[in-house]
Amino acid sequence: MTQTWLRWLLNALIGAGVLFGTLTLLIALAGQPIGASYRILLQGAIGFPPSEQLTPLDAWDGVLHDMTLLLLTGLSVGLALQAGLFNIGAAGQLLVGALVAAWLGTKQGIPTSIHLPLTLLAGALAGALWALMPALLKVWRGAHEVITTIMFNYIALYLTHWLVVEYLKDPASDAPQTAPVLASAQLPPLGSFIATSWGIALAAGIALLLWAILYRAVWGYETRATGANRDAADAAGVPTRRRIVEAMLLAGAFAGLAGAIEVCGSQYRFFEGFPSEYGFDGIAVALMGANHPAWTILTAFALGALRNGTYNLHVVTGAPKEIAMIVQAALILYVAALRLRRGRLEG
Amino acid sequence: MGEVFDLQLVNTALRQATPLMLAALGGLMSERTGVINIGLEGKILMGAFAGAYGALITGSPWVGLGSAVLVGLLFALLHAVATQEFKTDHVVSGVAINLLALGLSTYLFRQLILPREERGLSSVVRGFEPFRAGWLEHVPILGALLKDQTWLVLFAVVLPFALFWLLNHTRWGLRVYAVGNDAVKARTMGVPVKKIRYLGVLLSGVFAGMAGAFLTLASADQFRENMSAGRGFIALAALIFGRWHPLGAAGAAFGFGFFEALQMRLQGQPLFGLQLPTDLLLMLPYLPTVIALAGSFGRMKPPSDLGNP
Repeated sequence: MTQTWLRWLLNALIGAGVLFGTLTLLIALAGQPIGASYRILLQGAIGFPPSEQLTPLDAWDGVLHDMTLLLLTGLSVGLALQAGLFNIGAAGQLLVGALVAAWLGTKQGIPTSIHLPLTLLAGALAGALWALMPALLKVWRGAHEVITTIMFNYIALYLTHWLVVEYLKDPASDAPQTAPVLASAQLPPLGSFIATSWGIALAAGIALLLWAILYRAVWGYETRATGANRDAADAAGVPTRRRIVEAMLLAGAFAGLAGAIEVCGSQYRFFEGFPSEYGFDGIAVALMGANHPAWTILTAFALGALRNGTYNLHVVTGAPKEIAMIVQAALILYVAALRLRRGRLEG
Repeated sequence: MGEVFDLQLVNTALRQATPLMLAALGGLMSERTGVINIGLEGKILMGAFAGAYGALITGSPWVGLGSAVLVGLLFALLHAVATQEFKTDHVVSGVAINLLALGLSTYLFRQLILPREERGLSSVVRGFEPFRAGWLEHVPILGALLKDQTWLVLFAVVLPFALFWLLNHTRWGLRVYAVGNDAVKARTMGVPVKKIRYLGVLLSGVFAGMAGAFLTLASADQFRENMSAGRGFIALAALIFGRWHPLGAAGAAFGFGFFEALQMRLQGQPLFGLQLPTDLLLMLPYLPTVIALAGSFGRMKPPSDLGNP
């Protein structure tokens, strides 16, 4: 027992070394002073030490906002991995969900009491539908989901751009963007003190629910069995094809919901260049969280803080904002080398 | 019709297919030894950056090409060490390498190339000059296909045949076959499995780096963020559609290159009197890839030890 703990501690320490080593190297290569940069980074990540440009509440708002999206895309990637599929398509699913939410959110004549839930649900459904094709191609035709989901990312990018320019453009503006969603379709902020919407609570609730389903329900057990060893699960009578498609549909729904929450709770519209890179960040969130919903909440928070910290560094000093992505890639490699020693995908 | 489909279209297709062919053959070298290579995309992107930057600061496309190959090798080495020494899952390692390349190339672009522009220096790269085919230029059809091509295009056309010969007629080729199909048996027969795999993965870095260099030194004349635009994955689809065979993979890559050329041609030129929207045309290289993957079933025969440690 003590040995496992020692091992765990050692791994965590090396992980911290990878994190801070990469971070320090990238800050130095960007020609920034290390000490001052970490100060700015921390201001963005945890709101401390206090700064004049960024109040702690603004910093926390930024972290919680990122955490909302990272949690949902992390759950998306993680659930698919539990079923044995690598969903690199969360970015595309997020875009499609965001566009559909922006379309429905601007529609007049929907009863105000159901407008918001309907809009969020529509975004989730759109994301699920976008994941359906790669899932079906996987189980029917054996098409590699990494390639098909990437292709669907590019198709989503051009399709949503076409729709927003040709059919859904706000007539009151010249910019390629939709009109703002109506007040009845907006996610209210958590309180008057912080701008973060209730989307964070929704995402956390979904994570807890998924935890229960994955580890307490037959469906979850069968899905995990499918991912662990599909042949064995098949032999044991698990309908593996069904489980794979269902898991992928849910994964798409999570990513689509992330897009809808971003529209209804933060951006209030869809526009050209809508931030879809959260879909790729979800890969690091899921892998570092061992594809487990509870751990994913923690890694979403941690990587949300990292993302917001490096973003603050970018705003204040002009250092490239890609630092977060590079650090995440290094962490994925480290975690993968650590946990997947025996070449298995599950955590 | 006559205006859309002509020899010039095939000429463009050949050019657009070149990076896909190089990358697909790189993927082939890695996957035939049993190492899945999802990281082609990242190596292309890093190669494109290194090619542009190397040529930019020295003025020589050859230095650019050399840097691209070197960077491709480094990223391939990372994948080889991760999968062979640390037994990392091949797909996870490849995806991490793609993210690393996307982040790093954009980071370096902002640090090294954009400041030059701000100082008023050009970021346009002097790439490779078109290849002079001499009397061949006057041969019908062939002349039209070779017109204004760089030597990299010729290299990409010859490479599949060279690899086909090497894989089927040399000791090394036999060993690759043995390692890819049953690594354990190969090891007991005295084949240096790890060495063969390292070589395969490193070759994928060389070819994917060249594919990237082609983008900045022979196609576009400067680096742009994420300019590989999924080509590494299209190349993987070509590899699968071409059944892990050098000629099949190159042929499939040419097919995807043709859709890219068609896309470029149809931007601003109506088809049957109908001008298709820009965004829908831009989907053109990606949709056939999905369809090709969907249609590959039953014909797929990956190296049977693919992905095993």
